[in-house]
Amino acid sequence: MTETLANLALGFSVALSPQVLIYCVIGCFIGTLVGMLPGLGPLAGISLLLPVSFGLSPTVALVMLAGIYYGAMYGGSTTSILMRLPGEAASVMTCIDGHAMARQGRAGAALAIAAIGSFVAGTLSLVGLMLLAPPLASLALKFGPPEQCALLVLGLVVLAAMGGGSVLKSLAMTVLGLWLGTIGIDQMSGFFRFQFGLVELGDGIGLVPVAVGLFGIAEILASAGKPQLERPRTPAFRELWPSRREFADSAGAIGRGTVLGFLIGIIPGSAHIVASFASYGIEKRVSKTPERFGQGAIAGVAGPESANNAAACGALVPMLALGVPSGAIPAVMIAALVVHGVAPGPTLIQDQPALFWGFVAAMYVGNLVLLAMNLPLVGVFVQLLRIPYAYLYPAILAFCVLGVYAASQSAVDLWIMAGAGAVGYGLRKAGFETAPVVLGLVLSPMLENAWRQSLAMSDGSYAVFVQRPIAAGFMLAAAVMLAWGMRRR
Amino acid sequence: MIRFAFAAILAALAVPALAQGAFPDRPIAMIVPFPPGGVADQTARPVAAAMEKALKQPVVLANRQGAGGAVGMAATAAARPDGYTIMTALSSISVIPEADKLFERKPAYTMDQFAPLALISSDPTVLVVNAERPWKSVAELVADAKARPGQISFSSSGVYGTLHMATEMFAHAAQVKFKHVPFNGAGPAMTALLGGHVDILASGPGVVLPQIKAGKVRALAGWGAKRLDVMPELPTFKELGFDIEFYIWAGVFAPAATPAPILETLRRAIAQGVKDPDFVAAMEKAGTPVAYLDAPEFKKFWDTDAARLAKALRAIGKVEGG
Amino acid sequence: MSADRAAGLVLAALAAGIAAIALAELPMGSWARPGAGAAPLGLGLILGGFGLALAWQGGGAWEATDRAEAGRALAILAAAGFAALAFEALGYRLTMAAMLAFLLLAVERKPVLPALAWSALLSLGSFHAFSVWLRVPLPRGPFGF
Repeated sequence: MTETLANLALGFSVALSPQVLIYCVIGCFIGTLVGMLPGLGPLAGISLLLPVSFGLSPTVALVMLAGIYYGAMYGGSTTSILMRLPGEAASVMTCIDGHAMARQGRAGAALAIAAIGSFVAGTLSLVGLMLLAPPLASLALKFGPPEQCALLVLGLVVLAAMGGGSVLKSLAMTVLGLWLGTIGIDQMSGFFRFQFGLVELGDGIGLVPVAVGLFGIAEILASAGKPQLERPRTPAFRELWPSRREFADSAGAIGRGTVLGFLIGIIPGSAHIVASFASYGIEKRVSKTPERFGQGAIAGVAGPESANNAAACGALVPMLALGVPSGAIPAVMIAALVVHGVAPGPTLIQDQPALFWGFVAAMYVGNLVLLAMNLPLVGVFVQLLRIPYAYLYPAILAFCVLGVYAASQSAVDLWIMAGAGAVGYGLRKAGFETAPVVLGLVLSPMLENAWRQSLAMSDGSYAVFVQRPIAAGFMLAAAVMLAWGMRRR
Repeated sequence: MIRFAFAAILAALAVPALAQGAFPDRPIAMIVPFPPGGVADQTARPVAAAMEKALKQPVVLANRQGAGGAVGMAATAAARPDGYTIMTALSSISVIPEADKLFERKPAYTMDQFAPLALISSDPTVLVVNAERPWKSVAELVADAKARPGQISFSSSGVYGTLHMATEMFAHAAQVKFKHVPFNGAGPAMTALLGGHVDILASGPGVVLPQIKAGKVRALAGWGAKRLDVMPELPTFKELGFDIEFYIWAGVFAPAATPAPILETLRRAIAQGVKDPDFVAAMEKAGTPVAYLDAPEFKKFWDTDAARLAKALRAIGKVEGG
Repeated sequence: MSADRAAGLVLAALAAGIAAIALAELPMGSWARPGAGAAPLGLGLILGGFGLALAWQGGGAWEATDRAEAGRALAILAAAGFAALAFEALGYRLTMAAMLAFLLLAVERKPVLPALAWSALLSLGSFHAFSVWLRVPLPRGPFGF
């Protein structure tokens, strides 16, 4: 413990020098810009700017990359709240209540809570990362394919059973998303499924065009035709800030989101996305006013945003403690570490204490810089909503096209985006929630792989899902949740 | 407002100066047919940075992943052959067309659609087992595998991916059968081995070395023609009497129809780039030391490797359901 | 027809199509090693079950839609379709400027000068920010523009 503190002090002495701080601010700023574009999340931000960092000293480069990483995650929530435009799957839940708040003139409060929740979650998870990385990482390795499969089933059921009105409708949307996720070349056998004559579908239906279409485009289609769209008044500065009541409603959500997100984040296998969706479901369950969810409940912004940030931080645990990337973002972070002279591996923390602690300190500082930078920016962003919608929505549409293309370099994805927009508009008219489609689509390959890997391991015996205690626990929880959700109606 | 708009328009127009000069006069796109963070991506980024210095034009990476790399490779094959689209790909470039033949599918591309520019790195795979498993040598592993066929499991980066091919080659040579549990990428395959969910794995030295040092996994043999510099005590399969070789290599390609002078310029830029000390240092640190070969030698290397892989694939045949 | 019934029938029809394609074209594998078609077939059957249950249960109201909203939605979808079609041929800047000008002038009937200025500013400015500064590869059309 004393050693940890001494190490951390060393880290901060590095991270707080003026030159390093400047790069931290630059990184946070670029990250925020990149994150605002749908399709360019933290992953693309870091990969795009990795070459720029080659010329810098290792510490400065890492600080800048950490800034971009966090900045991009903050940026994603901004477009979700202002334009109902999720940049990545993790922001989908933020869209729902965040944008509803913006429509009621509470965009400032939603943005501020998103920033504060992310800050708190990021900071607390870093403490967890520092103290618990090695023991948690070895625990995380116990999660083999059967456990992952059970966890994914639980995640899907939580959203369907707790999310919207009818459980049947939510489940149908989830299964629709799961099917969409099977389109493309089967990762196991190399078989092309549902090709429809398009080579570009080989990699499957992209998440970004579907999420942007179902949320961003569908919102434009539904709103553009309403001439008497309620305009938020120009908010006074006082109103940009969450009210005392809003703070009180958010505090618990942030805490629960942080713990849930961190725990889900450390599990290898990139199921992190479950964190923000599950957090939304849980917040709705524990809320005293569940009917306000979907109509602008601030806990519905605070919980998922915190869970998302905590999961991103938790995802670094296996990378730092085992040297194994648990997802694409940690993989790029490892690439960055490698370029700067650090061999990733299980002995990284012992071998390179200065670097590891510098990295942790840089993330603390980056979190703080972002909070300081974003809270004033909230006022600027809210001004965007004063642009008349007739001028604003064509710009948002252009933004969607740019982001979707930038994410994949494929014009086919633009067609998928337009198609998803039309379908999303229809589903909205028919009273269906579209968030489960996105979750199903993201989790489908993971779920199918985990299922088939489990059966390969057990030679076809389904008992593998109930004989292993962790998997059995998740399956039981899913069954209970489903029964409860069905009965509640 | 309008005046501001005009100023912004002028500023935007001023930048892409339309100078008609020698190749290259605008940024070059380097396609990486795999997601960020893998071997291809980790190799391509320093290569792009080094080429940029030599060409005085940005070399921008575009990750076009999918279908084990087939999507990005097909995109490169179909790109305008003007030198502004190049690609960094792995050994699997030779496997995909063969697998397409095996399954009687329409091929995504053919290998003669590419002009090889340079080989950047080439590493033999290494066979490792979870440290808690009993086998101390290849002989022990083979004996156990013969005693209980299909029981010992291995993970891979995907069906017909590099790691799968390497293991099946070994299984075929040793006349044993392992249980295949395919994962999506070399990282998850290693995680499954560390967690004890599978028993053995073939992977690159950069991936296995840190885990060997930490005592989590044990290396049994390497697929190279000679021993690895970083693991001099590790025997090769050839020494142990198995006539197999397998390398994960990364090379740079251009569409085949690219004019010769432009290919020449690109080749020279890579040749100059691989001597860059920053580049060499970055590759050393990544655990994939530079093994540069210029186009003619790379072509020979590629032909030999492709023939070996095609033979192995035909020997392995169709793998049912993974 | 009520919203739930209509949506349920559409989902059931889609599910039938999925199951049919999976059975006709995809290998099912075995119980121990499910093939490429196993998951789609299973999902198709489940989706069909949910769709029929929704249709049988009925209920659910359509959200009101007037003619003006529907017309505008169609025009916006057409603009997005145009963008998808022209994007790689015309290049980013020309496609975006044309799409924006169409929406502002033809759909929203805004004054010509501000509409054109806004279109040009957005298309050129976003290109500059993302392609030049952040190096996101965006397509260029004729003459490298």
